[in-house]
Amino acid sequence: MGTAPASRDVTSYGMGLAAPLALFFLVFFVAPLLQLLWLSLHNDTAGLHWGLGQYLHFLTDPFSLSVLGSTLLLGAEVTAVCLVLGFPIAWLYQRVGPRLQTIIILIVLLPLLTSVVVRTFAWIVILGRQGIINATLQSLGIVDTPLKLLYTQFGVVIALAQVQMPLMTLPLITALGRIDPNLDDASCSLGAGSWRTFFRIVLPLSLPGVIAGCTLTYAAAITAFITQSLIGGGQMLFMPMYLYQQASTLQNWPFASAISIIFLLAVLAVVSVFTTLGRMSRGYGGA
Amino acid sequence: MILNRRSLMTTALTLGAMKAFPELSYAQARPLVFATFTGSWEEAHKAVLVPAFRKANADAAIVLDPMLSVDQIAKINAAKANPPIDVMLHDPGPALVAIGQDLAESYPVEKSAYFKDLISEAQEPMGPAPFFQVVGLTYNPEAIKTPPTSWADLWKPEFKGRVGITNLNSTLGTGWLVEIAKMRGGSEANVDPAFKALEELKPNLAAVAANPGALATLFQQGQIDISPGNFNAIQILKARGVPVEFVAPKEGAIAFKTTIHIVKNSPNRELAFKLIEASLSPEVQTTLMNSPYLIVPTNSKVAMGGEIARVLAKDTAELKQKFVFQDWKKINEQRSAWIERFNREIKI
Repeated sequence: MGTAPASRDVTSYGMGLAAPLALFFLVFFVAPLLQLLWLSLHNDTAGLHWGLGQYLHFLTDPFSLSVLGSTLLLGAEVTAVCLVLGFPIAWLYQRVGPRLQTIIILIVLLPLLTSVVVRTFAWIVILGRQGIINATLQSLGIVDTPLKLLYTQFGVVIALAQVQMPLMTLPLITALGRIDPNLDDASCSLGAGSWRTFFRIVLPLSLPGVIAGCTLTYAAAITAFITQSLIGGGQMLFMPMYLYQQASTLQNWPFASAISIIFLLAVLAVVSVFTTLGRMSRGYGGA
Repeated sequence: MILNRRSLMTTALTLGAMKAFPELSYAQARPLVFATFTGSWEEAHKAVLVPAFRKANADAAIVLDPMLSVDQIAKINAAKANPPIDVMLHDPGPALVAIGQDLAESYPVEKSAYFKDLISEAQEPMGPAPFFQVVGLTYNPEAIKTPPTSWADLWKPEFKGRVGITNLNSTLGTGWLVEIAKMRGGSEANVDPAFKALEELKPNLAAVAANPGALATLFQQGQIDISPGNFNAIQILKARGVPVEFVAPKEGAIAFKTTIHIVKNSPNRELAFKLIEASLSPEVQTTLMNSPYLIVPTNSKVAMGGEIARVLAKDTAELKQKFVFQDWKKINEQRSAWIERFNREIKI
């Protein structure tokens, strides 16, 4: 690997430079993760008796499973909204002049420059009973009584979609930028309409960006503790809050560990589905 | 000044090391570390308690390290023999956890000048209570013209869709549930009546907040008009111009003891004792009782005044009569089951 014989193999690289980061990960990520796993394999809160009780408790409890299910579903909804709204922006970015490009990239990046707490509080102001949406609807006479937007699934999805949007848009911009614009023209000159061109040429070629964006958005949306609890409130329970409740309020660390391991595995499963799709799409895009 | 790669590297490494190992920058003996709570608690302690302590103890070094009770417990547990904190502050639930895990030292009562002056509920031998937190009804006086008088008012049909509560993660949420149980014939050991009452409250519920702080935001946004609330949190909102008022319900306002403890194996035991003494002293408690802090005192020598005398109690006798204290030992036994039940049953 790191050796340099007379005829050096140019396709192999020394691992030395990666060692500091690898060590960092080993000490601050892998070790705590193992500790978490170790703790989750205990039946009592003091961590004295070994057993799979915590996992059995979670996996046989319909309520816990429904929390997991609703969290995974929330992620899917947010990802879908981000994709549908983010794709046109990325597409537009590739087709406007440099000045507009700067403005678009600024608008996309702007949310990343403010804290997620600030962004979430802004959504409380927007979605509240006397918030911007309700005030507008009422003044236009569309509704009589204010709609309940805050503390609903709809509110959480919309707020999370805005908060996580850059994670979707940026990979899409990169992916769309790699597509040769001549392919569009070629497709059109061969008689395909613009929708056909989009679905047969642009979308397949941008799939790696779509997959990357979806993975990032999904992972960020389901773990967004702050936005979930501030917009969703205390009665909409998602996995991060469930975990927090067990660890922090109840000091039940073994169950909290088991919840996080199960959550981790569930997320890994979803991400690996995305990755598999990505691998398949690469074959498709290259064809 | 010439910057070359080497000098930049050295500086960067030094700064990095100081960030990663803050102990490097302290001298050998560590200053007294007081883990207070974040937010208004930290402000009040920085402005009043710390200067009083330093004045009485020849400018002894002290560091405030504000964090939640659970974090205090976790940090001390991680290094029991040489704890990074000397004085901890707790709500009643976590205080029992900390004492149960043998993290607190018993308070040297016989040495204390003020312990005997505390009202009897505050005289905890494992760590006295220098302050009370008080939970009553909070409402928006612009929307609700007749002030509520009882917890039962939350169930009035005119408050349909206007009531906010918090879930049981917080001391406030759990304490309130127990009070509702008592109102309907239950107790700390039996909160079934409270869950039945919550079922009936559902049409009125506009929000179940994830924490008491979120309740405050909901008042500000007009999302709710009435809720159980913390006296001090309401004062902060009022000072910001939000239309909210606090009333103690006729069943009694719920009082939580905030207790202060010397951490077991603390290397600064003597200074820790001195800091706690300062927090119990009538001088510090009087200053903290006045505006803008409005923290309810526990030393019976403190003469009640200002907003506290107006809204809560004129003297210690009235305070003891108007406040209800709860048995948190009993509450802790079943709290996890209640939280689980709340998770399942309260969906609006």
